[in-house]
Amino acid sequence: MLFISILIGCILGAIVGINVPIIPYTYSSYLAIAIIAALDSVFGGIVGVLKREFDIQVFISGFFCNSILSILLTYLGNKLDVDIYLAAIVVFVGRMFLNLTIIRKYYIDKWSKKIKDKKTENEKA
Amino acid sequence: MEKKEKIIMTVTIGIMCFLLVMIIFMQFKVVQESEKTDINTLQATELRQELANWKTKYEEAKEKYDETAETLKTYKEESSAESKTKQTLEEELEKLEKALGRTDVEGEGVIITLSEKKQSDLKEDEEIVSINAEDLITIVNSLKDSGAEAISINDERIVNSTDIVDVGDTIKINSKHLRTNEYQIKAIGNGSYLESSIFGKGGYSETLDSSGIKAEIQKSNRVQISKYNGEFETNYIEEAK
Repeated sequence: MLFISILIGCILGAIVGINVPIIPYTYSSYLAIAIIAALDSVFGGIVGVLKREFDIQVFISGFFCNSILSILLTYLGNKLDVDIYLAAIVVFVGRMFLNLTIIRKYYIDKWSKKIKDKKTENEKA
Repeated sequence: MEKKEKIIMTVTIGIMCFLLVMIIFMQFKVVQESEKTDINTLQATELRQELANWKTKYEEAKEKYDETAETLKTYKEESSAESKTKQTLEEELEKLEKALGRTDVEGEGVIITLSEKKQSDLKEDEEIVSINAEDLITIVNSLKDSGAEAISINDERIVNSTDIVDVGDTIKINSKHLRTNEYQIKAIGNGSYLESSIFGKGGYSETLDSSGIKAEIQKSNRVQISKYNGEFETNYIEEAK
């Protein structure tokens, strides 16, 4: 059910995104920063699921608030002529890498445990 | 209750996926499109950069243009000098042709008509005498003497090589035999001078009159004399070196 909804959401999003009229290049930097923020939230959510700390409310609020806040910060940076979006990207991408590391470690641990279990089972047999 | 929560969660995650993927694809499109560097999609800094580029390009183009304009100017000067030479040559040629009688000309002048008197007009001691070459030569010489610039006899232009000779009962002018009782001599020049040279006191008209030839003169501001149609052929003369 969850996977179906994710699949449908992705396909619909792709179709709509391709057919939507092009936005001015000036706003594309805001869009880019929003995407990075959203992706960060997604990875955070995955980590939350793995750690069994996942809270749907935290996830949704983080998803939207991070995106909107990053857009606002970028806007402010534009007004102040400071590249704040660079800082946002550094933070988000850094966190994404951290989360990816956590995910990777989790699966490595899981698999190595499985292999160990199999080995001990074989030894027992 | 739990089922309801699950449905809400599923729908929310679906919507989030939709939004995320949509924005990602929009961004892809924007980035792809903006590679075409449409001026509407450029940021201020990029516009500035672009403007600077165009400025340099403009300056280069202007320099080139100035150079080309300079070259063009010299070419023009050369060509105008050339055309000046050409013009002088043409003027020279025109002058020469005029002098040679190669062109139709018109201007102030006189038309002299010589005709043999009728029997009834003759005085007692006069007799019919036909007009001969001698008369014409004298008249032409007189006209030339008084500054005639162009002369023709019965539309035969008098040029350098013109001969006026009696041949039997015809008069040969420009190798053409004229046989007529009336000669019309046209001359361009100062009308009064021309008139007085022939019709002045003691002029040749008196001689003609006494030999039975009627001479009449008509002054005009627009005497038309046609060009010489013959050939200027020379067989013996060469330019002296």
